[in-house]
Amino acid sequence: MAAAKSFADKLSFEQIKIELLNTAYGNDRTLIAKLDPRTLFLWYAFFGIAPWFIHSRFILAGMLLFVIGTTIMTKVSRLIIFILILGLLGESGYLLIASLFFGGNLGIIIPLLVLTMKLSVISLASITAFCSMSPERLGEGLLRIGVPGQVSFSISYGYRMLPTLFEEYNHIFMSYRLRGKSPEKHGLFYFRTVIYFIKLAVKSFYPLLLSMAKRARTTVEALETKGGQYAFRNPAVKKLKLANLRIGKTDYFFLLISVLYLISIFISSHYVSF
Amino acid sequence: MNELIHVENVTFQYPGAEHPVLNKMNLSVKKGEFLAVIGSNGSGKSTLCKLFNGLIPHFYTGDFEGSVTVSGLNIVENSVADLSCHVGYVFQDFENQLVQARVLEDVSFAPLNFGMEDYLQRGRRALELVGLAHLADEFVWQLSGGQKHLLALAGGLAMNPDIIVIDEPTAQLDPYHAKEIYEVLKKLNEQYGKTIISIEHHTEFIAEYCRTVLLLNKGSVLWKRSTREALSEVELLTELAIYPPQAAQAASRLGADNVPITLNEAIAFFKEKVPCGMPSVPRQKPDRSQEETVIRFDQVGFSYKSMNKKRAQVLKNINLSLNKGEQVAIVGNNGAGKSTLLRLITGVKKPESGSITVRSQSVASCAPEKMADHVAYIYQNPEQMFIDDSVKKDVAFFPRARKIKGYEAKIDEILKQFDLVDLQDKDSRLMSGGQQRRASLAIGAAMNPSVILLDEPTASLDMATRKHLTQFILKLKEQIDLVMIATHDMQLVSEWATRVIVLHHGQIIFDGNKEELFSNPALMDKAGLVPPQIVTLSLALNVEPIDYSVDSFINRFKEARGEWPLQKASQIN
Repeated sequence: MAAAKSFADKLSFEQIKIELLNTAYGNDRTLIAKLDPRTLFLWYAFFGIAPWFIHSRFILAGMLLFVIGTTIMTKVSRLIIFILILGLLGESGYLLIASLFFGGNLGIIIPLLVLTMKLSVISLASITAFCSMSPERLGEGLLRIGVPGQVSFSISYGYRMLPTLFEEYNHIFMSYRLRGKSPEKHGLFYFRTVIYFIKLAVKSFYPLLLSMAKRARTTVEALETKGGQYAFRNPAVKKLKLANLRIGKTDYFFLLISVLYLISIFISSHYVSF
Repeated sequence: MNELIHVENVTFQYPGAEHPVLNKMNLSVKKGEFLAVIGSNGSGKSTLCKLFNGLIPHFYTGDFEGSVTVSGLNIVENSVADLSCHVGYVFQDFENQLVQARVLEDVSFAPLNFGMEDYLQRGRRALELVGLAHLADEFVWQLSGGQKHLLALAGGLAMNPDIIVIDEPTAQLDPYHAKEIYEVLKKLNEQYGKTIISIEHHTEFIAEYCRTVLLLNKGSVLWKRSTREALSEVELLTELAIYPPQAAQAASRLGADNVPITLNEAIAFFKEKVPCGMPSVPRQKPDRSQEETVIRFDQVGFSYKSMNKKRAQVLKNINLSLNKGEQVAIVGNNGAGKSTLLRLITGVKKPESGSITVRSQSVASCAPEKMADHVAYIYQNPEQMFIDDSVKKDVAFFPRARKIKGYEAKIDEILKQFDLVDLQDKDSRLMSGGQQRRASLAIGAAMNPSVILLDEPTASLDMATRKHLTQFILKLKEQIDLVMIATHDMQLVSEWATRVIVLHHGQIIFDGNKEELFSNPALMDKAGLVPPQIVTLSLALNVEPIDYSVDSFINRFKEARGEWPLQKASQIN
């Protein structure tokens, strides 16, 4: 109980906000963060899709090791990793229990492990690619590969508003608590209290939506005065925005290492059976 | 001709509105003016200013008649984007006009959108002009309110416009930061020849910084005059709920016809006329020893983790005991820890060290829902308190959740008391600032608390609404054991508080009555506090005891002389 309480204390709104922002913006000094977005898109196109078509456990394990390595290099926050592991374990655990319940046997474990491995490779590759790109880099990358400017603006604006959203949500949530009434008794396994908090968490979204809609009005006017619409139509603006994107030595090096590593595990898989 | 803005016979009506918000308006603004736009709520101030960058009629499509030229461009024929190259606009809710994550990105956003290759240099230059250059790589959400306002201004400056429009800077900022922004505007006006148009309620700022004043009433121009002439119209302005500087009010009510409008003028004006040998009324110090303690802070400290994973200390070593019947004002700069101090009492935040007790109950071991039985906290931004879809439901939320018998009658009474009967079925979010503020106080009153905590209750209100609201606050003490207000509003402090606590970087640097505080300029300065004009004036005139309101100031003169020596009044200037 004490451990759960200390965890709950750490998991305050403030904490989640900081973790999220750090995930988005805080990792810009790592080697991977310096890569061109296009390099990461290309890299992710393989690591994010290929695992579905690979059935060799050896190759999957090799890829998993590799993406674990790259994930460590991105210095991603522990909260994200924790959520990922929780998700993976929850998913496989649930499948295992369900299959045992409906007459399966322990033989199910091996195929489940393969599935978990595939999911892990894809998830870690996503973390590597997207957590090390700041929203601006991601937006620039998308713009470069031909996605409309509105999309990349939305991404960076979304992140700009994220802390505001969090604070606003926190305020509204606290407003409910400062005037509401929590259950007198916690109930079995804190049942009543948990239900109370879940209700508040959901209810708080409605006032949030309304207040955000109100804020957006000024934002839209401001965008108009800052030439937002004008920019989407002007190719010179796109050129200016993308002037900093360059595929350099590090990019080639990173891709080369990845390719060499993949070739070597593909070749060794012929000699190893497991 | 150096006419920059020409408005001729303009009428504008919002779609669905019954009356035009601008009615046959005529106006001319010359290059290099520093113009204040004043007028009561709904007089069309913001609407007028939105003509200058074309948001009206392009963005708000209503019935538009007449012609407007800005920097030689007709606003109907040119787009908002084109006009914005000549007009920088700072909105009242300026936080929502910052659209990028980092400071430099945000300030260079407009030049980038217009495809200017030197967009970063332009951004940097604008940051330098407002004094934010050292924060170029910072995240927008890490900035303080004052810095965000300066950034919004820099965003407008990046296009190097001729005209800067700024919508009620003093409504959202504390006086210290408002002064900072006006100093920047003054520099832009004097050194860079920018034309500044400021919508402003605060006449003391107008007197100090603006050179011309435009008075609007019901969508028409009443007049445009020099600041001196404008602010001398004490009666007319007061009638329109715009309050002239306190010194001007005092002189005018004493019958002078050439009134002083700035502090220095007032000192020169009143100096020779100060009645000597004033009866000094000794103010008795309240005896705190016998009173009942309601809230006690014992060695309280609080910090939070910031983005860069360092802990930021908000409060340290807070020791306080607050007694029944006190009217406590907590003052200090932004970021001094005022709001945190109040929130700790509600149990929403737990102190990191030390303990807080409310009526000998420890706050740390109590959920906020439990504390709410004793303590009501009124947010700085009322909108954050609106969790239901009508005023009445919001006010009734607390007693309804507690199933208090017969609460409906009590709610009706409170709605009446706060003048909300006609608004009770409206969505609180859609009301005006003053109405929202009243609703938030009504919510607090419906909780029937023994302690009420008000966070900046008079912020972002125009002077008329502010005055109205102060009446409600004065009434609160009849029903409530302890009222605490965190505020920048020194006029409120001087008229209301019996005890003032000054916070500075999370520590209490003063705890006493306002008399001691106001007679200590060094301390006021350290905490970034600006006393009300009438107090500064009394101090400068060496009158004893200090006057805290215009009423008491003029009573002093009336009692001493009976009649005001009018002949001396014409000697200034």
